[in-house]
Amino acid sequence: MSDNKKTQKEKDFSFRKYAWKQFKKNKPSIISFYILILLVVVALSAHFIANDQPLFAKYRGKTFYPAFQTYFNSAKVDSTINPNTGNWEKLQFDITDWKQLELESVVWAPIPYSPEKPDRYNREYVSPSAVQYYKNPEGKRVVAPGKFRHHLGTDAIGRDVASGLIHGTKVSLLVGIISMGIASIIGITLGALAGFFGDKNLVATRFRYYMTILGVILGFFYGFIARSLSITEGFNNGIGSGLLQLAISLILLVGVTLLLNMFGKLKLPGFLGKDTNVPVDSIVSRSIEILNSMPRLLLIITISAIMKERSLTILMVIIGITSWTGIARFTRAEFLKIRELEYLQAAKALGYSNRRTMVKHALPNGLAPVFVSIAFGIASAILIESGLSFLGIGVPDEAVTWGSLLSLGRQEFEAWWLVMFPGAAIFITITVYNLIGEGLRDALDPKLKQ
Amino acid sequence: MLKYILKRLIVFIPTLIIISLLAFVISINAPGDPVERLSKSANKEGTASEQSSATKKVKQEIRKRLGLDLPIFYLSLGTLADPDTLYKVEDKAQQDNLLKLTRQYGNWEAVQNYYIALNEALEVTSKLNTDEIYQSISTFTLEEKMMDDSSYTDTIYSSSYSKNQINEAKNNTNFDILSLLESYNQEIIESKLLDIEKRYAENSFLAPSQEKFESVKTAFNYLKENASSWKTYVPKIIWYGNNQYHRWLFGDGGERKGVLRGDFGISYIDNQPVSAKIWKKFTVSFVFIFLSIVLSYLVSIPIGIYSAYKKNSGFDKGSSVLLFILYSMPSFFIGTLLLYMFANPDMYVWFPESGFQDPATFSEDWGMFKKIAHHWPYMVLPLITYTYSSFAFLSRIMRVGMIDVMGQDFIRTARAKGLGEKKVVLKHALRNSLLPIITVFANVFPVAIGGSVIIEVIFSLPGMGLETFNAILNYDYPMIVSIFTISGFLTVVGYLVADILYAVVDPRISYS
Repeated sequence: MSDNKKTQKEKDFSFRKYAWKQFKKNKPSIISFYILILLVVVALSAHFIANDQPLFAKYRGKTFYPAFQTYFNSAKVDSTINPNTGNWEKLQFDITDWKQLELESVVWAPIPYSPEKPDRYNREYVSPSAVQYYKNPEGKRVVAPGKFRHHLGTDAIGRDVASGLIHGTKVSLLVGIISMGIASIIGITLGALAGFFGDKNLVATRFRYYMTILGVILGFFYGFIARSLSITEGFNNGIGSGLLQLAISLILLVGVTLLLNMFGKLKLPGFLGKDTNVPVDSIVSRSIEILNSMPRLLLIITISAIMKERSLTILMVIIGITSWTGIARFTRAEFLKIRELEYLQAAKALGYSNRRTMVKHALPNGLAPVFVSIAFGIASAILIESGLSFLGIGVPDEAVTWGSLLSLGRQEFEAWWLVMFPGAAIFITITVYNLIGEGLRDALDPKLKQ
Repeated sequence: MLKYILKRLIVFIPTLIIISLLAFVISINAPGDPVERLSKSANKEGTASEQSSATKKVKQEIRKRLGLDLPIFYLSLGTLADPDTLYKVEDKAQQDNLLKLTRQYGNWEAVQNYYIALNEALEVTSKLNTDEIYQSISTFTLEEKMMDDSSYTDTIYSSSYSKNQINEAKNNTNFDILSLLESYNQEIIESKLLDIEKRYAENSFLAPSQEKFESVKTAFNYLKENASSWKTYVPKIIWYGNNQYHRWLFGDGGERKGVLRGDFGISYIDNQPVSAKIWKKFTVSFVFIFLSIVLSYLVSIPIGIYSAYKKNSGFDKGSSVLLFILYSMPSFFIGTLLLYMFANPDMYVWFPESGFQDPATFSEDWGMFKKIAHHWPYMVLPLITYTYSSFAFLSRIMRVGMIDVMGQDFIRTARAKGLGEKKVVLKHALRNSLLPIITVFANVFPVAIGGSVIIEVIFSLPGMGLETFNAILNYDYPMIVSIFTISGFLTVVGYLVADILYAVVDPRISYS
């Protein structure tokens, strides 16, 4: 193709735009994509959709925005003057039962219940269609008006299922995104290294090779053995500081390795100065094989069972560090293919460094199929999280998730709403991710370009 | 081919070693001390001190029997300050704390002295007898006490401390020393030492144990002054010839024969051999997995072939949507729904709710058919749950593979030769589209051993999944390590079998 005859349209051609166009043609996928956006919006605004504190309330001449104030400052305390007595009355936002106050005007959240707070007038599995009760500000127990009905029923202690579902969205999406984020970082890095260098393309002097191995061991020592005390203390103080200490240790590991690697650049005569191949591909492939030979669900259950503290953060990290093999395999295969293409040969011929070739030239072109694997990975991470909550492992008892709601339904068969609604929520989310994955695969696969 | 298989088998060995080691490392870091748990069932008679010395002996025996008095692995990477013989310390919590102290101060000798002093102080304080102290510090008085209609004399001890006070002071000191044994933070240790000192100053009757306490204080001060923290920044590698992993592999030369000779150790829960337990449960899971695989192959291969053959027909589109929906259904949702529909007094009670057999009527002596007739109602719902997702998955793979093959040149050639459609599809195309299906078959055994946790928990089936779940909840680590190793082994074997099957199905693939 001669350059000067390129039309405007051809000049504008980019693979990204093309893929998006292909993706848009796939009706189920694009609908799923919009549903996913909706789910994200629901998750982000869960606090304002389902909350037992009103969005706006006027009480004794003073206006409050309790839901907003608790969102930005959870320990917000405010007071008002009672006009009848002239005394100051303290209103503690997080514990006040706003439904019992005689409010002058009020705007409730669409679902006026919080997921973890029981409603004692509707205990013992109240069905969505059953008679529900409500205690009005006058202190009388009446049949609940439409606004205060539990539209999807309640559980044994009177927690609202609809509210639990709304807040569970946040948990599920977070688990999917964060755990797959961790998995993609590990998987893409290792897969790219393995595919790009193979077993023969990374050449270093023996001295540098041995120094790097020594660096990894020393880095592990300084990061995790000499600092073991700080890490334990960190986790004793809370998950946040524990993860911070862990991150410091990881940086130390990488730092020491890099330092000794630099030191390995020294030119030495004789045996140590000779070049040798670094078997990057074999190392990565063996680790993938080993991780794949362990039953993944069992591995995750075991690791979360030995953790002293049950928390979603730890669960996400565990799912992340055990789920990178698929992504690594895809990246590796793609890089193996790209390595032989002309533009990479050209980059090499121009004398670009390995790092530049890999990051600037190979990576942007090699990522497309990885997105497919990430989309399916998110679906399976959500499935694992809900499965674990269903079994009651790894997730704190008080956390309301889709899986934990479903397991409540397993205990009480009468409460079909505890089975159907969370189950449907999990099913929809997984289907959405799977359909997006399929759409991405079709859009990104050059074989289907017709 | 044989050479290839041999080569693959040799690669197995390091893989398996690493898998078992990983499982081992996880189990070592688990909370709880198995010795504590196993010794709880031991003797509970005799006085307190007799009992404690007896439990101590039992604990020692258990530790020895389980091999917990050995180091974990051949090599251990630690700091220069770390002692070589730490694994000999009996209490796991104390062992952890000793290591923390050593890594903080870098002086093992001083840490050891401090610990010995602490233990001696603990022994002395726990031997203090409230009654004896009370008697020794009180003065006798004889008092006559008048009651309503009778009078009697009673010996009353009068003392500046009541028995309760003595008891409290004694117990608090004891408790403080016990918590000192498990604290490593310098500030906490110092504040506790101050507390105890204050108590000694206030309660003169504790004097008999004060001497030991003073030696604790000196030992701690010595430790503080003689800290050599530089040692904690120097790495050291220690070699242990006889260790837990070695014993796990090769046995201890006596009762235990080692994994290599088929002995996976004893369960911490009930002292049963792990291999016997696993075998019993494995058969149950295997029956389900095998039946479900056979069922799903029987259904999904024809569906896959037909929808690929009639691509874009109504059947293809309809089955694709249905299969996709099934594929995205979480198994615990389907399982719970099935139970809700068919094992629920409010809906239909067609099948029993849980379990594998009715213990009241089942008898081991029955013939095979009677046993099957007894078991089958229990198996229907779990089997559906086991099958539906793999069936959806397989059909989709089969369809894609078949479409791929149907578009290739040799199919056109076969048709051009004038072969009948039946022969083209079932002979030429089918054989070539079987490759991905084989990959799935390779995973049958590993899935049987570990992948069915959720389903077996829902239906309370006494299989591997439930067993594993219970083992994990009860920290039964010999069991978990064995399950990981066995399933790792089966997965690797599965891959190998799949590779060989590839060559059988497709003669173009050769490994020589």
